[in-house]
Amino acid sequence: MIVVDGVYKRYRSDHGMGKWVLQNVSFTIPPKLNVGLVGRNGAGKSTLLRLIGGIDIPTRGLVERRCRVSWPMGFGGGLAASLTGRQNAKFVCRIHGHEEDLQDRLRYIEDFAELGESFDEPIKTYSSGMKSRLQFGLSLAFDFDVYISDEVTATGDAAFKDKAAAAFQALSDRAGLIMVSHAEGTLKEFCKAGIWLHEGRAYWFDSINDALTEYKKSLHR
Amino acid sequence: MAFADDPADVQNRNSVRSPTSITWAVWKALLLREAVARLSATRTAWLWLILDPVVQVIFLIVLFGFVLQKLIGNIDMGLFITTGVLGFGLARNTAMRIKDAITANDTLLTYRQVLAVDTVLVRAGLEALLFIISALCLFTGLGLIGYQVFPHDFLQVMLAFVALWLAGVGLGLILSVSSQLIPESGKVGGVLLGPLYFVSGIMYPPSAIPPAYQGWFLLNPFVHGIETIRTGFFPQYHTIPGVSMGYLLAFVMVTICLGLALHVRYATRVVTK
Repeated sequence: MIVVDGVYKRYRSDHGMGKWVLQNVSFTIPPKLNVGLVGRNGAGKSTLLRLIGGIDIPTRGLVERRCRVSWPMGFGGGLAASLTGRQNAKFVCRIHGHEEDLQDRLRYIEDFAELGESFDEPIKTYSSGMKSRLQFGLSLAFDFDVYISDEVTATGDAAFKDKAAAAFQALSDRAGLIMVSHAEGTLKEFCKAGIWLHEGRAYWFDSINDALTEYKKSLHR
Repeated sequence: MAFADDPADVQNRNSVRSPTSITWAVWKALLLREAVARLSATRTAWLWLILDPVVQVIFLIVLFGFVLQKLIGNIDMGLFITTGVLGFGLARNTAMRIKDAITANDTLLTYRQVLAVDTVLVRAGLEALLFIISALCLFTGLGLIGYQVFPHDFLQVMLAFVALWLAGVGLGLILSVSSQLIPESGKVGGVLLGPLYFVSGIMYPPSAIPPAYQGWFLLNPFVHGIETIRTGFFPQYHTIPGVSMGYLLAFVMVTICLGLALHVRYATRVVTK
C-alpha cells in the first residue's frame, strides 16, 4: 500500500524556483493493484514515479511506502555504463542485502534478460532494448510488493514484452505494478486502475480505460 | 499500522533491514564497484598507481636534485622527495577523486539505498586502500635497492599520513557538494590545488624559504603534515619553527565538519537536479 498525501513538487532551476510540476496530489494505491500513469509529455509522470520510488523528496506533502517498492526502472537509469551487465547485477544484489544467495539471483537475472554473451560486456555497448531487458530482470529478481516501470517495456521487442507480461501475470497475486507508458495496448494489458496527470493534478480512475478516455479527450480539446 | 492483519504486511515488516545494515551493504557494494571501475579503466590503470609517484620522484630528482642536496645536507634526497610526493599526493588525490564521486555515481542514486554521501565516503576509503598498496610497493622497492626505509618514529609518520588523508577527505567533502550546487566551484578548487604542489615543500626544505615569508608558507596545512612525516623519518632532520600537527588537525576538523554539514543540509538538492 502506498499513500501519497497532498504532494507538491517543483524543481530549482538556474533562474530560481521553477513552476509547480505537481500540485496537491493525493491518492492511495492498495496492495496488489496494477496502476497505469497517463498524461502529456512533461505532465510530471516520471517525477511522480521518482517520488513514489523514494529517490526524490516532495517539496511539500507526504509519500508513505508501507511495503517494499522497487526503484523506477527505465531509460537506462541505475546501470553504470562502464561496468558489465553482470557487475551491475552484482551491485544491485549487494545493496539489496543478497550477498549470500548472489549466485542464484545472478542466474535468474541472466536467464530472464537473455542477453547471452553481452551479459559480460559493458553497459555502454547495450542497445536500449537490451538495457530494459536487464533492468526488468534485475527488479524481478527481488521480492518487491510494488514494481515501478517508467516506459521500460517501450523499447523491448515482442518476445520481451510477452515475457514481461507473463512474469507480471505470475506475480499478480502478490505484487503490484505502477507504470508509465504511452502505448495504450501495453497499459490495457498490464494495468487495471489508472491515474491521469493533468496540469499538475492527479485524477484517479478505477478503470484504466476511463483514464485513457479522459486523457485522450484532453488532447483534442 | 493499519494492515497489521495482512499476512504479507507482517512478513515484510519482520524482514526490514536496519539502517546500519543497509549502509554497510551499500558501502561494500560501492567499494567493489569503484575498485573495479578504477582498476579496469585502462589496461594499465593498476600499473600507474605505482608508477605515478615513482615518475614524480625521478622527475623531481633530475630537476632539483643538484640544488636540493646542498640544502638538506646528509639526508637522503630520494627519501626526502618521496615523503613529500606521497604526503602531498595522498591529500590532493583524495580530494580530487572524491570531488567527482557524486557525478561518477549519478546513475546509482536511482536506488534509494544509495546516498550521495555514501559514494563520497567510499571513494575516500578506496583512495586510502590504493595509497597503502602503492606506498608499500614504493618503500619495498626503495628498501630492496638499499635505502633505509624504516622511519625512526613510525607512529608519528602514520599519524601525519592519516591526517593528510583526512585533510583530503574534508576538502573533497566540501568540493563534492559545492560543485553540485555551483559547478564552477569544483573547477576553482581543482585549479587552486595545482599550484599548492609548488608551495608545499615537496622538492625543497621549508628552511630554504626566507624567515620573513615562512609565516605565509605555513598557512598551507599540507606543509605541516609533510614536515611531520620528515621529522618522523629522519632523526637528524631540522624543520622550521611553527610546524605543528595541531594546525593540520584543526584544518581536518573544520573541513570534515563543514563537509558533512553541507552533505546533510543539501542532501536532497544534490540528488534532485
